[in-house]
Amino acid sequence: MKKKNTSFYINKIWINVLLWILVIVVIYPLFWIFINSLKTNQNLFINTFNIPTDPLFSNYVDAWNMGLSGYFLNSIIVGSISILATVTIGAFCAYGLSRVESKWKMMIYYLIIGGLLLSPQSALISLYRILEFFHIYNTYLAMILPYIAFRLPFAIFLMYTYFKDFPKELEDSALIDGCTTFTTFTKIVIPISKPILSTVSIMTAIFVWNEFLFAMVFLEDSKLYTIPIGLYNFKDALTTNWTVLLAGIIIATVPIIILFLFMSKSFIRGLTEGSVKG
Amino acid sequence: MNKKILVLLVLCLLVISSFLYAADEKVQIKFLHRWTQYMDYFEEIVKEFEEAHPNIDVEMQAISNDPFKEKIKIVLGTNEAPDVFFSWPGEFTNRFIRADKVLDITPYLEEDGWLETFIPSQIAPFIYEGKYYGTPFRLDGKVFFYNKVLFEKAGIEKVPGTFDELIEDCQKLEKIGVTPIAFGNIKPWAVSHYIGTLNQKMVTDETRYTDLDPAEGTWTDPGYVEALEKYVELIPYFNDFVNALTHDDARATFFNSNAAMMYLEIVEVPELEMYAGDELKENWGVFVFPDIPEGKGNQNYLTGYPEGFVVSGTTKHPEEAVEFLKFLTGKTAGKLEVEMLGWINGIKNVVGPEDNVPKGILETVDLVLNAEEMVNWLDSSLSAKVWDAYSVQLQMLTDGYSTPEKVMEAVQKAAAEVRKEFE
Amino acid sequence: MRKKNKTYLLYILPALLFIIIFVYVPIFQNFYFSLFNMNSYTDKWTFVGLSHYLNIVKDPIFYTALKNNTLYAVFSLIFQVGFGLFLAILLDSKFVGKKLKVLFRNIYFLPSLISITAVALMFYFIYNPNIGMLNGFLDMLGLGQWKTAWLANPNTAIYSVIAMSQWQYTGYIMVLLLVAIQKIPKDLYEAAEIDGASEIQKAFHITIPGVKGMLVATSIITVIGSFKLFTEVYVTTGGGPYNTTQVLGTYMYRSAFLFDEMGYGSAVAVIIFIITFTTSLLQIKLSNRNKG
Repeated sequence: MKKKNTSFYINKIWINVLLWILVIVVIYPLFWIFINSLKTNQNLFINTFNIPTDPLFSNYVDAWNMGLSGYFLNSIIVGSISILATVTIGAFCAYGLSRVESKWKMMIYYLIIGGLLLSPQSALISLYRILEFFHIYNTYLAMILPYIAFRLPFAIFLMYTYFKDFPKELEDSALIDGCTTFTTFTKIVIPISKPILSTVSIMTAIFVWNEFLFAMVFLEDSKLYTIPIGLYNFKDALTTNWTVLLAGIIIATVPIIILFLFMSKSFIRGLTEGSVKG
Repeated sequence: MNKKILVLLVLCLLVISSFLYAADEKVQIKFLHRWTQYMDYFEEIVKEFEEAHPNIDVEMQAISNDPFKEKIKIVLGTNEAPDVFFSWPGEFTNRFIRADKVLDITPYLEEDGWLETFIPSQIAPFIYEGKYYGTPFRLDGKVFFYNKVLFEKAGIEKVPGTFDELIEDCQKLEKIGVTPIAFGNIKPWAVSHYIGTLNQKMVTDETRYTDLDPAEGTWTDPGYVEALEKYVELIPYFNDFVNALTHDDARATFFNSNAAMMYLEIVEVPELEMYAGDELKENWGVFVFPDIPEGKGNQNYLTGYPEGFVVSGTTKHPEEAVEFLKFLTGKTAGKLEVEMLGWINGIKNVVGPEDNVPKGILETVDLVLNAEEMVNWLDSSLSAKVWDAYSVQLQMLTDGYSTPEKVMEAVQKAAAEVRKEFE
Repeated sequence: MRKKNKTYLLYILPALLFIIIFVYVPIFQNFYFSLFNMNSYTDKWTFVGLSHYLNIVKDPIFYTALKNNTLYAVFSLIFQVGFGLFLAILLDSKFVGKKLKVLFRNIYFLPSLISITAVALMFYFIYNPNIGMLNGFLDMLGLGQWKTAWLANPNTAIYSVIAMSQWQYTGYIMVLLLVAIQKIPKDLYEAAEIDGASEIQKAFHITIPGVKGMLVATSIITVIGSFKLFTEVYVTTGGGPYNTTQVLGTYMYRSAFLFDEMGYGSAVAVIIFIITFTTSLLQIKLSNRNKG
């Protein structure tokens, strides 16, 4: 019994030490970026490891005023419209698919789900021409429409699986009571489906938050830039002004981390159910 | 029940279409430049222009230097093409001219003496096949800037007149523990300035002009390899990590007196006067790239080309666009340009003795105006493909992964592919 | 009933239209584009048949890109899936306290939330040869001779980019596996304990077989992700130094938007399509087999 205890403690120690080391590996770079974002450029070139004695928050103000505020707003606009549209259009479609009786049903289903297999990159060049054809190159819609289209297959896949297994008794009784399919769906199905809707929303939010390639190719006007592409442009505009760039990175990072701290459970659920990154 | 959906769809369509058609009676001119860091100046220009032309509305956009080179090609293919946009004369612009994306402004220039307002050497670069396609916005030239204090410390009495003297001076500087030449080449346009200069000095004009023509260029003259051999001689005197540093990173070391020289554009004088350390600010000088006596090229040429603006070949408002171009590169704007940015445009006598222009700017500008001939930047005078082959190899050469012969082999191969496109 | 069916079809229609116009049409159009010579700013198209494909196969940069995507996939499998599984097993073991478990999980997960661009810019700074964190550490440890320009040295650049992604995504894959582990019925472990199984035996005989489905899924996600790579490389190295870090995504972008060869770029896009499409098909096949 005693022997088992020693080996238990030895295991416990090395495992915990390893896990704490990894915590440092994850956190220290972030911390290092943070302390350097509070320095003047001159101090940065002298020492990057000390903690500044008089932290300089003006870097944050500069970064914010250099356009980050606009990029934030754009990300929020593009993100919220994309989320709203993906959830709405996707939910209607998934619900329709799960209830319709038609010989085309499975074909349509596979056509939609097939979209999952197609990578956005291989559509880039012709999408650019299509957006041009619709005269929406260099507008919010140039991002929003492709984002919705490329998020829909997965959203529908998740919601379809959810609605399919949904107990039909409630709906049937509502339909008998004279409700239309529309009110049945919005009043009865939607309220009980909140978890899956929030999963889809979080997935879409993270996608928009990250998307770089479409935003770079489909936009010209810096007033429309979202955060990723705006931050990237900072790199060019601030070649010698490192500390402001670092402050910009921190500003762009903090909101999602705060959001995560408050709702880590639904984030993790959202990301594990929607386990498709990028 | 279906009506609700219908209403929703119609609403969607309305929102979409409202994005598309913003009603406006004014003539709208789209204007694109590449100076995101100097928006104040351009905003002022646009404001003054709009005040003088109440019927024209200028919508300005800016994309910073390196992304601009990628983005301009995409934008010109769309309906969003700007009416007036920045461009580098040379092959960079010529390919757009060949695709009818740039307006021939010769008739406008010849109409009311507009052409005569320009310094001839500064508007000439905008000629393609006998026609004018743009106007100069700022003149520029590449010279060595040096730190007089460090030169003195190293015992260098006069600036180098020949390439061999330059190497000797580098050795002297190295002896006192100073980086002789600051150089940042993460974006290889920086090395193009060295190689463009060396090529010109080593190769005859005739060969060089033939090779710059994408339909003719073979790049087989041995002078190109010799030019690269000269460059290789310089490499030991650069700072470490040349290909990992941006031009601005490297320039900061020169500004802080940690490096003794740097090959810079004269348009960087205002930045030097603003950001350099006190020591350099009081003690800087310039010298032109030293002669290479054995070189076949004219040793009195200066590398540097004006940059300018052109009018879109697909513009719906050519009159208004040209009007804006006239203002943008004209005398009034030119005066403001010197005052706010320290740059000189291509108009004759933009600054007179009455203007309080820093001496450093006037002196360096004189180097450009007195040069026998200007040599275009290598990167913007080459087709994208040839320049890519060249630049990749030049970065490898700088790191010791290539040789002058291999560089030119790659260039010759790329040039052959490009020639095929013109057959 | 019939009328209701029509309504349902109407519900389906908007999504279907979206997907057809913005997903299917471009992808099929792309096949067509790949047969032409065209660029972004002219309308002159010339039919060239399959010659773009032949040129791609002859281009050494294509093989560099393919090699880099593959390297990326291999390292990601080892770190994200392999090491991620190891971490998940450790976290789920009795050696880690309950509260610590949640803390570790959340911290490891954190980097995956930061946008790729922000992470890439952070590492661009961390790898800076003069003031970066990595060279700073090497100096502190007295290993100054190992200092290099991590992203500009052809021998280290692609590995530096790969390392960055492992930092960002190992925690994410670990969480996916951890969720799967927690779904394994507890009585399996209890039974094994009664039989006197060691922790290692339990891991190999219960945990790993129990998360087989998720292991396959995460492996496929990782591999597909490796072939869709763009932002990580574009922001840190842009494909340089001298094209040694090109991946298929940046190779396509470079052809289409830097060299004005949209047809050639489209052909590269078709190749990316084929690779990701077949990998995805494989995923479906494998995950179906695991279910059944």
